Amino acid sequence: MEKVFTIKKLNLKYGEKTALLDINMDIPKNEITALIGPSGCGKSTLLRTLNRMNDLIENCHVKGDIKYEGNDIFSKDFDVIDLRTNVGMVFQKPNPFPMSIFDNVAYGPRCQGVKDKKILQETVIQALKNAALYDEVRDRLKESAKELSGGQQQRLCIARAIAMRPDVILMDEPTSALDPIATAKIEDLILELKQKYTIVIVTHNMQQAARISDNTAFLLMGELIEYDKTDKIFSNPAKAKTEEYITGRFG
Amino acid sequence: MTYRTQFDSELDNLKLNLIRMSDLVIRNITDALHSFINMNSELAERIIKEDKLVNDFEYSIEKECMRIILREQPVAKDLRLITSVLKMITDLERIGDHAVDLSRLTVFMEKSEGNFNLPQIKLMIDVCEEMIRLALDSFVNKDINMAKEVIDKDDLVDDYFEEIKQLVVKAIKENNISADYSIYLMMAAKYLERIGDHAVNLAEWVIFSITGEHQ
Ligand SMILES: Nc1ncnc2c1ncn2[C@@H]1O[C@H](COP(=O)(O)OP(=O)(O)O)[C@@H](O)[C@H]1O
Ligand SMILES: [Mg+2]
Repeated sequence: MEKVFTIKKLNLKYGEKTALLDINMDIPKNEITALIGPSGCGKSTLLRTLNRMNDLIENCHVKGDIKYEGNDIFSKDFDVIDLRTNVGMVFQKPNPFPMSIFDNVAYGPRCQGVKDKKILQETVIQALKNAALYDEVRDRLKESAKELSGGQQQRLCIARAIAMRPDVILMDEPTSALDPIATAKIEDLILELKQKYTIVIVTHNMQQAARISDNTAFLLMGELIEYDKTDKIFSNPAKAKTEEYITGRFG
Repeated sequence: MTYRTQFDSELDNLKLNLIRMSDLVIRNITDALHSFINMNSELAERIIKEDKLVNDFEYSIEKECMRIILREQPVAKDLRLITSVLKMITDLERIGDHAVDLSRLTVFMEKSEGNFNLPQIKLMIDVCEEMIRLALDSFVNKDINMAKEVIDKDDLVDDYFEEIKQLVVKAIKENNISADYSIYLMMAAKYLERIGDHAVNLAEWVIFSITGEHQ
């Protein structure tokens, strides 16, 4: 099994406060890996570390080792911009830019220097198609993205991430602001995307983790308690703490 | 502190109902065996009537499992418990059916000519009874070793079946047994052998609910 990320002895502190403690885990390619655990256990922190989004947070100190495709992401000559292009991110609340649907998706490629109208057009349409949104917006690409429903906005954000041609897509509770139908659409989409991308998803919804992910990591107070195949975690977890949490008997 | 107290009490209730169903099945099978040994067709008739209660238990426990799955979306040990209960009630119901089969046999045999005593039948009955009891105890006590004991005992049941078969064949050859009786005895032995298999299934589901592994 090919690994996209190899995480070794990862420790992270916000000031004096430890948020991640000695995390060791591998993220396999073209699979969906879910991060679960109670609020504040460090899921978002771990996710953000993967594309070094934590660099933007003051007072955040990282120790340990993360390799992306074999390269140390913390080494001095590592290209962070390149990392963030290859490792895209989708957030909990859909955050479309205040511009048209088309421009939202074209934003990334334009920043990357794509100027050719035809190529841009193709890239945007392909990304919208891959995000299962194109059929719903094909006639109104010039309209403001804010006009879309919450679920459509989230798929637009996924299209925007896809347009950057990433290898990995990180998702932080991507459906927690959505209704069940919009959620089901995004889940279908995530399963679809797994063919081409590696996906790491933070979710509060354990049923969602059980439904869509291949691997599940359970975190508790900054520690990785258990990491295994999703089927194993939800049918026969090895650790009592995991069992308590997923069966809802966590105190 | 633990949460989901409502869920926990539903699970406790489910276990309790399984135990009640097992008790009923064990009683019926014990009575059926005695009715068979003592050729007591009155007892046999009662068992045939009681089988409806076993079926009712299976139905209501099954419904309860479905309801819990639907409403509580159980995972891990909870899911394994409910899966095991769903499978165990099927085996219990089958054992109950065999109690009825044996009772019907009793009624036939009492009416038919001749008799032929085989102590092996009584021995086979005792092992089967013990297997069902042990399987249930292993469920209540979450005791894997006890469940494994049930599985081991099945060899004994199979040995008795072979022995009875050979004795009946011998008796037929020597003209010591009536045609009716030879068939009835073999049928009884076969029902008992099947009861042993169902007891093994029960034990295997107990092991699954504890370890998550099913052989
Ligand atoms: N920017 C920050 N500054 C200081 N502490 C933070 C920051 N972000 C998160 N934390 C703390 O780190 C811990 C983990 O947070 P987070 O990764 O957001 O958890 P989760 O996503 O699992 O809810 C929490 O205790 C949280 O308060
Ligand atoms: Mg979070």
